[in-house]
Amino acid sequence: MQQNPAQEFSYHIGWRSKGRHPGRHSSIQTGLGMEFRGHAPLIAYPDPRRIDLRQTLRDPTEQIHVRMFNQKSSIPVYVVCDLSGSMGFVGERSKLELAADICASAAYSAYRVNDPFGFIGFDDDIREDWLFTSTTKVHGAFELAERLRGYRPASRGARGLLDADQFLSRERALVFLISDFHMPAEALEKALSSLMRHHVVPVVLWDGAEYKKLPEFGITSVTDAETGARRTLFLRRGYRERIAEAFEARRTQLRNLFMRYDMPPFFVEERFKADDMTEYFYQFVAA
Amino acid sequence: MSFDTPWILFLLPLAALPLLLERHHSRAYSWLQLLPSDPLSDLVGLLLKILAALALLFILLGMAGPHSAQQQVEKIGEGAQIALVIDRSASMDDPFSGTTNGRVGETKSAAASRLITQFINQRKNDMFGMVTFSNSAMYVMPLTQNREAILAAVQAAAGTALFQTNIGSGLTSGIALFDKVPDSGSRAIILLSDGAGRVSDDVQQKVRDWLDHMHITLYWIVLRQPGGLSIFDTNYKPPENAALPPEIELYEYFKTLKSPFHAYEAEDPKSLAMAIEDINSKEKKPIRYVEQIPGRDFSQHCFFLAAFMIALLLGVKYLEVRSWH
Repeated sequence: MQQNPAQEFSYHIGWRSKGRHPGRHSSIQTGLGMEFRGHAPLIAYPDPRRIDLRQTLRDPTEQIHVRMFNQKSSIPVYVVCDLSGSMGFVGERSKLELAADICASAAYSAYRVNDPFGFIGFDDDIREDWLFTSTTKVHGAFELAERLRGYRPASRGARGLLDADQFLSRERALVFLISDFHMPAEALEKALSSLMRHHVVPVVLWDGAEYKKLPEFGITSVTDAETGARRTLFLRRGYRERIAEAFEARRTQLRNLFMRYDMPPFFVEERFKADDMTEYFYQFVAA
Repeated sequence: MSFDTPWILFLLPLAALPLLLERHHSRAYSWLQLLPSDPLSDLVGLLLKILAALALLFILLGMAGPHSAQQQVEKIGEGAQIALVIDRSASMDDPFSGTTNGRVGETKSAAASRLITQFINQRKNDMFGMVTFSNSAMYVMPLTQNREAILAAVQAAAGTALFQTNIGSGLTSGIALFDKVPDSGSRAIILLSDGAGRVSDDVQQKVRDWLDHMHITLYWIVLRQPGGLSIFDTNYKPPENAALPPEIELYEYFKTLKSPFHAYEAEDPKSLAMAIEDINSKEKKPIRYVEQIPGRDFSQHCFFLAAFMIALLLGVKYLEVRSWH
């Protein structure tokens, strides 16, 4: 099975779930919970256990009032994972291995709070063989993560992201969008607007070997993992600096783009730490 | 420009392979669009391809063996090829009689030798050969530019003479000197004799053919006894029932040659000097000859260029990145 057990992170959401399944997230569903919601006549909400005596006594119309509470509900959790050619890049670590780590971690975390977990893989299309139906059983997700670890993507693009919303749940879900986002900004923007319904956490997988840890000096030939285009690079100090600058500019661009859609990006480089993800969710929860 | 094995040129399109095929060893990179454009890198990439293509091109060209066509260059020179055919018959040891320049008693051969030495010294660019003859021809010196050797040979010819006069043998041997020597455009035989001998018909024919065939001008200097028979004497009538004297017969024969012929008579060193001077001026004409310059072979250059390109490629290989993921 799993060699290194999936790390758990905890996630908090700032919106109310509509789900009826009990879970850990605040919800609009009335039920067994701690969050007071209001009063209702006993006729309307026949739960004699929750009769509010004080409210009943204060009512001149002598109606019997029942306290209503919001239950904690589950939310669907999805990992939408980019399986395009660029994700096959192996630098310090394979990007897909990293994606598998995150996937397993998310699945385990969702399982711990009883949220259903689903997986959608896409390259130029949504990959039917990489669809994992939303479920609270974690085992399948772990197997899928293992499969993902060994997957070598074909040289295909990432246009399937535009169709991903059709495979997500109808209700608002927490979506971990794992990709290196090496795609044109327009396409990304279009895809993001199609995902606005959901709580999207863009997990940006970059590798140091892509831009920071380039060789000092030399000539090399590189092939684009998706288009197959080739270029010869004459690496030297000035060019390396320009590559790093280009990536920093790209990082800023991505951040601005995601923030426009209120989806703060989560950058992962080489190692995924679940605590960082927990931290990520905490920073948006009002203390 | 032509080629030893032109069919290899049909393989020349192979040289375009590096331009068409991509390099095999290439690293996968996630997104090339994100890499900023770099003209220097593009230039290096292009240069690498061109270098590889050129290396192939030059190898193929080298295999085809290019060489320039042989050229013919016309040159004008002065050097003549002169064969000295000198009579060594006993009569050559007789002195000229009635000389005027105080050299009484100088033998014909000594005078000939002295004047010919002068003649040789005046002509710096010529090749000389020498044949002497008496009863038969004596091969002395092939056509050579070695002046010391030829002067020594001329000196030696002034020595004690031998027997009789066999002009036919001397001429054929003199002509034979020109065999297998490239024609300089100006060839001459100076036949120096006193009197003459009879030349048989077939030798006459042979000499005529050879002189014509090899473009040789014949100068005949007859050393004559003063008051003796002149070959230019057209009125001479031989005694009845007697054959013509051999000199006149030979002169008549020489006049039938198809090649140029000049005859001189000398009866003293002065007239001999004049004869030789005349020859000297006649053979001064500039010779116009066509020199064949062989084509140059360029395959070595091609291979050298190809090796140079490959060396450059190897240098780039050395620069190639090895330490990257």
